[in-house]
Amino acid sequence: MSILSKLGETLVCLKAGRVTLPYPAEAKPLPEKFRGRPIFDATKCIGCAGCANNCPAREILVYDVCQEIRILKYLGRHCAYCGRCADVCPEKAITMSQEFENGTNQIGDIQQRLELFMSTCQRCGRCFKEPSVLEQLKMKGYRFDDLENERWIFRSQATLKGEPAVDDLKIELD
Amino acid sequence: MIAREMFEQFKQRFGPLIVRADLPSDNRLFVFVDPSSVRYVTQHIFRELDARYVATIGADDRPFSGKFLVAHNFAFDKEHLLCGILAYLPPDKPQIDSITDMVPAASWGEREMRDLVGIEPVGHRYLKRLVLPDGWPEGSHPLRKDTLWNEVPAQYDPEREFKFDEAPEGCMVIPFGPFHPTLDEPAHFRLFVEGEMVRGCEYRGFMVHRGIEKLAESVMNYNDIPMLAERICGICGCVHNVAYVQSVEEAAALKPPPRAEYIRTIMLELERLHSHLLWVGLACHIVGFDTLFMQSFRIREPIMWMAEKISGNRKTYALCVIGGVRWNITPELKLELRSVLDKLESEWRPVVAAVSHDKNIQKRTCGVGVADAGQVKSMGLIGPVARAAGVDIDCRRDHPYAAYDRVEFDVITEQGADVWSRLLVRAKEVFESIRIIRQCLDKMEDGPLQLEIKDELPIGRMGLSSVEAPRGESHHFVITGENNRPRRWRVRAPTYQNLQGIPAMIKDQQIADMTISLGSIDPCFSCTDRLETVDVRSGSVKVWSQEELLKLTRKKVEG
Repeated sequence: MSILSKLGETLVCLKAGRVTLPYPAEAKPLPEKFRGRPIFDATKCIGCAGCANNCPAREILVYDVCQEIRILKYLGRHCAYCGRCADVCPEKAITMSQEFENGTNQIGDIQQRLELFMSTCQRCGRCFKEPSVLEQLKMKGYRFDDLENERWIFRSQATLKGEPAVDDLKIELD
Repeated sequence: MIAREMFEQFKQRFGPLIVRADLPSDNRLFVFVDPSSVRYVTQHIFRELDARYVATIGADDRPFSGKFLVAHNFAFDKEHLLCGILAYLPPDKPQIDSITDMVPAASWGEREMRDLVGIEPVGHRYLKRLVLPDGWPEGSHPLRKDTLWNEVPAQYDPEREFKFDEAPEGCMVIPFGPFHPTLDEPAHFRLFVEGEMVRGCEYRGFMVHRGIEKLAESVMNYNDIPMLAERICGICGCVHNVAYVQSVEEAAALKPPPRAEYIRTIMLELERLHSHLLWVGLACHIVGFDTLFMQSFRIREPIMWMAEKISGNRKTYALCVIGGVRWNITPELKLELRSVLDKLESEWRPVVAAVSHDKNIQKRTCGVGVADAGQVKSMGLIGPVARAAGVDIDCRRDHPYAAYDRVEFDVITEQGADVWSRLLVRAKEVFESIRIIRQCLDKMEDGPLQLEIKDELPIGRMGLSSVEAPRGESHHFVITGENNRPRRWRVRAPTYQNLQGIPAMIKDQQIADMTISLGSIDPCFSCTDRLETVDVRSGSVKVWSQEELLKLTRKKVEG
């Protein structure tokens, strides 16, 4: 019976024909929903930092230069392209693009830096309503990420003296 | 009512030994017993009540209850019950009687507990280090709450070498791995051979152990972890994603909307389809039959494209968040999915028909890597390995989750207990998966995708979830905690159990059959080694030191 099964296998192969795609000479069209590199739209962004609070890979950092200027930086190093940032963005300022060929020698090519002019609401001081309690970051103190070393900081020592802060910086108070 | 009945039975038998019991639902039972009686209770459950061993979990509960916690989880498959035997241990010098002499399958679980949490299993016969790197100092345990997630102890010595066991008399040693052409991931087997025959082996793995559990317990949020869980494995990512989310939902008593459950089922089955096709291809590749390898990969490709259309990515679906799913299956996608399934079915049928009579494959796989029903029971083997030995277990039917209780399917079993039977089981399961997806598409009702969560999740509740991954049962255990993240999250991937059966499978076989025996459990070392803090190079037989290697690579890059 083995000869029959060999014939069967041959038939399967012959029927298949040629299936190799001529990539990268010719790209296969991507589905509409494809989750590629996230693109931030500075004109729509209101600087609520919801994306930064919900990024599983901690790839989005927030740094307040002063009361009015907030810097939002997308690092693009180990982004998982999960699209949670685009999910929680209340202004739809983040789109998951169709770009996936992101190999580069210069990380700056895929990093994005938004300088946002903020005017704080004097009443509430915040502007982001999380979709559910699960999106709340249970973080005390200010968002004060380390842009220079591209690190996320969990808690600023400004409010939590004496507690062992993880991966923390010594923040000098005025 | 099965949980209550079982508990009544326990009460009559053990009486005062039971300290407390939780019956969160009909199919879950947590029994807290006195630590000194854990051995006695597990013996009764495993031997007399014929439960299946699932996992051992150690947890540092000191900041909350001041004690350590140990759990042995068992499954009553016929009764549809998952049961945990738990015991609190005193905070200084935590010790518990080992259960490995009755339940050999618990061996790794106890060794891992000793490495990571520092709970000493008294009476364990082979207390060699399993998870931690060899240079890691004694007395430092990464999963204790007072150890930081990014801490490397000062005494850590990356140069220390692994001490291998002495080879039995008359045996040669052949190293297999850490990097071997048939292994996609690093694991080191030291085979003891007598001529061509393998007489035993020693395993040293956990070389790509990445500290995922610690990261989740100390850094991430409930809704971040699904994306991390998905990256435990490159093949059954969605399984871990769903299993984690389900265990949290169970702990917090949340019920996802029915449409979300159907979508989860569909995506899990899509994943099973692509995994089975991939594995059948790889198994053929290992025995040198590359024609079928090419064909099964060709047949598999439309499934990957379909997944990309539904979720936005070929493999990492990022499907679940707590209380629902993120992607919808629209009517257009439904139509397309149906046509993809039709094509797959018509293409796979002739392949199975041809392969199931192929003498060449049979000669390489029949009677190879045998794990019979007795070994399945004692080593806790699961998935296609168990079903190929005639053990009729399948989490989808025995412990239904998502929408599996609303669909009909057969559990495929074979009697051969060898690699050939495993191949047949997996080739046939493809048709069952297609059947399940079609039923889901018919029955799927309209409705919301996500549950509205208004309150914070309760603290200190336990949840467990078993999800049938393509290669076996994937078991997740969660204790909910403060700060929007779990207190303890334990993942028991299928390879964790199946790999422990390898020494028995390859014993007294030819060394040439080692690769396919190992390949037959579809080993996924990234799943098994899921928690690490440092890169381990010292586990291998060393020719180069780490620094020398680094220097060499740097020179290469610069020059």
